Amino acid sequence: MIELKSVTKRFGGETAVDAISLTVNRGELWALVGTSGCGKSTTLRMINRLIEHDGGEIHIDGRPIREFDGKILRRRIGYAIQSTGLFPHWTVARNIGLVPRLLKWPAARVNARVEELMALLGLSVEQFADKYPSQLSGGQAQRVGVARALAADPDILLMDEPFGALDPITRKGLQAELRDLQSRLQKTIVFVTHDMDEALALADRLVVMNAGRIVQQGRPLELLRAPADDFVASLLGGDDRGLKEAAITRVAERMQPLSPRLLPQARVHRDATLRQALAVMFREHADRLAVVDDEAMPVGELSLRRIVGAGREGGSDT
Amino acid sequence: MLRRDAPINRVMLSLALVALVTWLSLPLGSVAPNRIVPGTAYTIASAIGWPLALVSCLPLLGLLMLAWRPGRNVYRLALGLTLLLLLALPAWLALMAQQRLDPELPQARLGIGAAWWLMLFWLSLVLIELRTRLALAGWRLALLMLPVLGGWWLAAGWLEPLALWQELAGRRSAFVEAVVDHLLLVGGAVGASLLLGAGIALAMRQNPRVERIGFALLNFLQTIPSLALFGLLLAPLAWLASRFEWLAALGVSGIGWAPAFLALLGYSLLPMVRNTFVALSEVDPGVLEAARGMGMSRGQVFRQVRLPLALPVVIEGVRITTVQAIGLTAVAALIGAGGLGIFIFQGLGQAAMDLVLLGALPILAMALAADALLGALTRRLDHRTDLAPGATP
Repeated sequence: MIELKSVTKRFGGETAVDAISLTVNRGELWALVGTSGCGKSTTLRMINRLIEHDGGEIHIDGRPIREFDGKILRRRIGYAIQSTGLFPHWTVARNIGLVPRLLKWPAARVNARVEELMALLGLSVEQFADKYPSQLSGGQAQRVGVARALAADPDILLMDEPFGALDPITRKGLQAELRDLQSRLQKTIVFVTHDMDEALALADRLVVMNAGRIVQQGRPLELLRAPADDFVASLLGGDDRGLKEAAITRVAERMQPLSPRLLPQARVHRDATLRQALAVMFREHADRLAVVDDEAMPVGELSLRRIVGAGREGGSDT
Repeated sequence: MLRRDAPINRVMLSLALVALVTWLSLPLGSVAPNRIVPGTAYTIASAIGWPLALVSCLPLLGLLMLAWRPGRNVYRLALGLTLLLLLALPAWLALMAQQRLDPELPQARLGIGAAWWLMLFWLSLVLIELRTRLALAGWRLALLMLPVLGGWWLAAGWLEPLALWQELAGRRSAFVEAVVDHLLLVGGAVGASLLLGAGIALAMRQNPRVERIGFALLNFLQTIPSLALFGLLLAPLAWLASRFEWLAALGVSGIGWAPAFLALLGYSLLPMVRNTFVALSEVDPGVLEAARGMGMSRGQVFRQVRLPLALPVVIEGVRITTVQAIGLTAVAALIGAGGLGIFIFQGLGQAAMDLVLLGALPILAMALAADALLGALTRRLDHRTDLAPGATP
C-alpha cells in the first residue's frame, strides 16, 4: 500500500507538486494522467525517492519512506520508464538480472528468475538472452524493461509512460499483456501516462493532475460520467467521452437474456466492449445483436436502446 | 552486348588503369654511384627490360578484366591478384638492383622511385575497395597480409643495395634506440595524459567553473606551435634543474626528454580531456535514471554503467592522442629528445632523402598500427549501435 499525504515538491521557487494526497491499495493499478509538466512524473519519482519530497509524508506499507535507505527502497520497487533505460553494454539476461544481483541472490537463483521472467514476458530464452538491447525492436526492449522491473518480485511497480515510444499496435499489445500480467500477479502499480485511452484501458483508478494539483480522482467510469470540471472533461476527450465509456464497458454487462424473437444475424462476443458492439451495428446496419460465447453459442442479445439507455436505467456495473 | 548488362566496378577499373599507367611511365627507382651524387632514374622497362616489365603488369591486366564482371568469386580472385602484386613489389627492385648496379662500385645504391610508392598506394586502395565489397573483417584482412609481409621479410636479403637499407645498415643500433626512445616518449606521454586527463575531466564534471577555465587553458595550449612550446619550456626547465639537484639527477634539463615529454603531455591533454569529459557527460540520461531507479549506488552507477559506456569514446581519445603524439615526437628530436625524428632532421641536413625515409616510414607504420589497433578496440567495446556479425538470426 502506498499513501501520499499532502506531498509537496518545489524546484527553486516553482511548486511542481502541490499538497497531493492519495492512497493506492495493494493490488490496484492507479494511473496518473495530465498534460506535460503537470507533476505526474515528479510524483512517481518521489515514491521511490529518485526525487525527495519537500513537504508531507509518503508511506509504503505504513512506514514513511524516509526510514529506508534510498537504494534499498528502490531495490524493493520495480521501475520501468519510457526510454526503457536498458544498459546497452549488457545482454538482455544480464539486464533483467540486475536487481536480483544487487540484492546478492546466488547466481543460480538469478538465472532461474531471469528465465522465468523471460517466459512470463514471452521472450524466448535461446533467442534473446544473449542479445544486446540495440538488437531488439522497440516492443521487445520494452518487454525486457518490464521484466527487469519485475525481476526481484517487488510488491510495487512504478511505470513512467512505459509504452509511450511504441507504435500503436505494439502499444495495444503490451497494454493487453500488462492487464493480463496484473490479473495474475496483483502488483500495486502506479502508472504515469498522457495517453487517456491507455489510462482508461488499464487503470483501476484515475488521478487527473493539473499544475501540480490533483483535479479529480476516481474510477474511470466515475470520471467519464461526472468530470469535475472542463479540464477533466476535455482531457477525457470532450464529446468523445461517451465512446470512451463504451470502450471500457463489456457487452456482458449490458446484454439481455435471449428473447423469443428471431435471433439477429449480426453477432458480437460477450467479452467485447460496447464500442465494438456499436461498430458492428454501424457496419451491419443492425440495431440488435446476438451475443455469443467462446463456442459461438448465442447467450443473449443486445439492442441499441439498451446500449445507449443502460447507463441511466441500471448503473448496474460494478 | 553482354558487357553492358553487367555493372562494371568503376573503382577497381580506374585504380587498375591508373596503376598500370604510373607503373609503366614513372621511374621505378634511381641508381646512384654513392650517397652524395644524385641518381639516374629508370622506368621499369628501362631498368629490367620490356619482357619482364610486361610480366610485372600481368596481374594488373587481370584486375582490369575482373573489374568488368564483378561478383563475389571475382572479387576473391581480385584479392588474390592484389596480394600477389603486393608480394612481388620488392622483387622488381631486387631485379633492378641486379641489372643496373655496377658490382665494381660497392657504394652504389638504389633509390625507390615514384612508380613503386604509387603502386603501393593504388594497391592499398584496391584492397580497401575489395574489403568493402567482400565485407571482410579487419582481422581477416590483417591475416591475409601476413604472407605478404613474410614474403617481404624473406626478400630483405635481395634488397641490400637499397639506399634505405644502406642507411639503416650503418646505424642499426642507433635505429633500434631511436625506435625505443620514440615509443617510450609516446607511451609515457599518452599514459600520463590519460591519467591526468581523466582526473581533470572528473574535476570538470564536478565543477562547471573548472570546466570553463580548463578548456580555455587546454585550447590555448593547443594553439602554440610545437617548436615554440619546446622553446618556451627550455628556460624554466633549465632553471628547475639547476635549482633542484634531484631533478637534474633524473635527467631533467632545458633540452632532452623532459621538455619533450612535457610538451607532448600538454598537447595530448586537450583531446584526452575533451573525449573523456564528453564521454562521461553524454551517457544516455535514461540509462542513468534507470540505473539509479533500480537501486544502484552512486559508485555502482559510475563503475558499472557510466564508465563502461564512456569507455569507447575515451579510447577514441587515446587513439587520436597516440597518433598525434607519434607524429609530434618526431619534432622532439630537435631538442635532443631522441626518437626517429633524429634521422629525419639528419637526412634533411645532409639532403639524403633515404635517411629521411628511414625516420619517416617507421613513424608512419607506428601511426597506422596504433590507429588500427585502438580503432578495433573501440569497436569491440561499443555495443551502442553495432550488430555484431553473426549475432542476428
